[in-house]
Amino acid sequence: MSSRQSSLAIGLIVMASMLAVMLGLLVGAKPISIETAFRVLLAPDGKIESILVWTLRLPRSLTAVAGGAGLAVSGYVLQTLTRNPLADPGITGVTSGAVAPIVCCFVFVPWLSPIYYPFIGLAGGLAAASVTFWVSRGGQGRPLQLALGGVSISLFLGAITTYVLLLTGPQSASLLFWLAGGFQGRTWSHLAYMLPWTITGVVGALALRRVIGMFMLSDHAAAGMGLQLGLWKPLILILAVIPVAGVAPVAGPVAFVGLAAPHVARLLKPQGTGWEIGLSAALGALIVTVADVIARSVAIPRELPVGIITALLGGPVFIYLIQRGQLNLAGETR
Amino acid sequence: MSASVSTRGGSAAVWMVAALAALAVLSLAAAIFLGVADIPIADVVAVLTGSGSSEARSIILDIRLPRIVTGILAGIHFSLAGYLLQTITRNPLADPSLMGVSQGATLSVTIFLLFTVYIFQPGSNTLAELPVAWLPAAGLAGGMLAGGAIYLLAFRLGLSALRITLCGVAVGAVLHAVAIGLIAGWGSARIEIILEWLSGSLYARSWDHALFLLPFTIAGLAMLPVIYRPLMLLQFDAPVARSFGLAYRRQFTLVLIVSCALAASAVGAVGPVVFVGLIVPHLARFLAGRNFILSLALTIVLGAIIVTLGDLAGRLLGQAEEIPIGVVTAVFGVPLLLALLRKTM
Repeated sequence: MSSRQSSLAIGLIVMASMLAVMLGLLVGAKPISIETAFRVLLAPDGKIESILVWTLRLPRSLTAVAGGAGLAVSGYVLQTLTRNPLADPGITGVTSGAVAPIVCCFVFVPWLSPIYYPFIGLAGGLAAASVTFWVSRGGQGRPLQLALGGVSISLFLGAITTYVLLLTGPQSASLLFWLAGGFQGRTWSHLAYMLPWTITGVVGALALRRVIGMFMLSDHAAAGMGLQLGLWKPLILILAVIPVAGVAPVAGPVAFVGLAAPHVARLLKPQGTGWEIGLSAALGALIVTVADVIARSVAIPRELPVGIITALLGGPVFIYLIQRGQLNLAGETR
Repeated sequence: MSASVSTRGGSAAVWMVAALAALAVLSLAAAIFLGVADIPIADVVAVLTGSGSSEARSIILDIRLPRIVTGILAGIHFSLAGYLLQTITRNPLADPSLMGVSQGATLSVTIFLLFTVYIFQPGSNTLAELPVAWLPAAGLAGGMLAGGAIYLLAFRLGLSALRITLCGVAVGAVLHAVAIGLIAGWGSARIEIILEWLSGSLYARSWDHALFLLPFTIAGLAMLPVIYRPLMLLQFDAPVARSFGLAYRRQFTLVLIVSCALAASAVGAVGPVVFVGLIVPHLARFLAGRNFILSLALTIVLGAIIVTLGDLAGRLLGQAEEIPIGVVTAVFGVPLLLALLRKTM
């Protein structure tokens, strides 16, 4: 795809996301008609529909947009950095690394202001990712190593999280809903809280697209082109974890978005790392927004957590990748 | 996978079995004699010989012993399942909890618990006891289904060791997300029961649980002589194994079924106790060298010992809020796993 086609594709996806946001305004326990939604959007009137749209549905959908874009960019950067198509915040343990310490803080240090949660998430995500990368030799060993390393760290943190939940008792219900990944009840303040982190991640990835692109080559070739690996590898890893640190405290773990969005973006074959990042972000936003709409419309009046929907949408992508044999299967034996 | 010692001589094997038998007896005794309730040794002995106070009798016979027996059986299940999985996938890191089987069992148990709440809770509380009896069966069914799904997914392009493992990881992650989502969406009434089960625990396990596991233990152990020779050949590539006259696909499937049935029934009874199936076979192979039958035997004994000791540790360390065995095994298993992961691949 040329740059023009890529920008057109991004434009289309953004429009589709806006449509999904719009749809999100209409769907819910109390359906709202299109005319009403437009009317209260343009002129809030303090009636029930207006309050529903402005304080519940709009901030929620926009939080989903930002969260999806952040997760997708994180997945893109991780996949490029490791040259491993299976890398994603969930598989590499970044998400559970961010989530588990936040749960622990919530339970054991309740007086700690949630403002600090993204920093805790960043530290935890980085720690977990570092272990996974150490185990899988920078993520560039066999895909199996990365997947097993990440999954086992997730299992480890998951066991501890479950135990902490068990200790908390009645409080655990709300924590669990958060742990399932979702946007129910997210407000403007949640959005404002998440936004600096996702914007830093997305803009940072776009700004550093040349460096990120160099990681697609081998380490050797990247070093030959003058890239200081010792400096840039950790920096790019931090960049990959930043959006997750913003999304995790607000939405919990939303599975497989970081895996699926970059793959769909690459299927469109845009030219240049920047376009791939842009397309990934737009697709991530679209996927999560649509998943959020599905999550609250399939089981009215109840809601499903978005994490279920994205897992059901993204899991097949993962399996398709394995089946397609898109992996570096060097050394594989039958 | 190859240990430092090539072959153990007969006398070394005898000594090792004797030492492990002693360890098994010691850990069993410790599990019976020690506990949060302080019962004097003499009273425990009295209970075991058929007398003793009714309070001591109920603590030992109705709480500690069924729990220990369930733990021993579950330990055997997990470690043996891991050993079989590792052998047939030729992946030293295969484990029921890394291959989606545990997550399948988890999902079906979750669905089962939630459904019984929705079907039986309004207006009646007698039928709510149904899940306790049927829970393990639900776990068994879910684990088997997940194993079957992974097998079919990986099968399309041949039974590649890498692909079957990655499919396990993928299916496991999806099933886990769905299970957590369902608990969060519908679990309000039963969250604590599900969480307690989800962390892999022997808490309040009764003779019913032990009796549920026993047929599977017996069947699994009885299958060993049948699958023993195929298992040795399944360690090789499919063409090599076939050249020895092995019906590769059929035997692979058979061993996979045995492994899934062992793991899934254990997850159903005690929840996902992670990493036992991963670590114990490594330990056994390390001790047994290339003595295949000895490593298999050690896997079984060590699985029982480790779960017994892990549960005892969780009981004693946590005191009133005991630490579930699944947490204990995760905390000790992960560093070992990561070291193995880096070393073996």
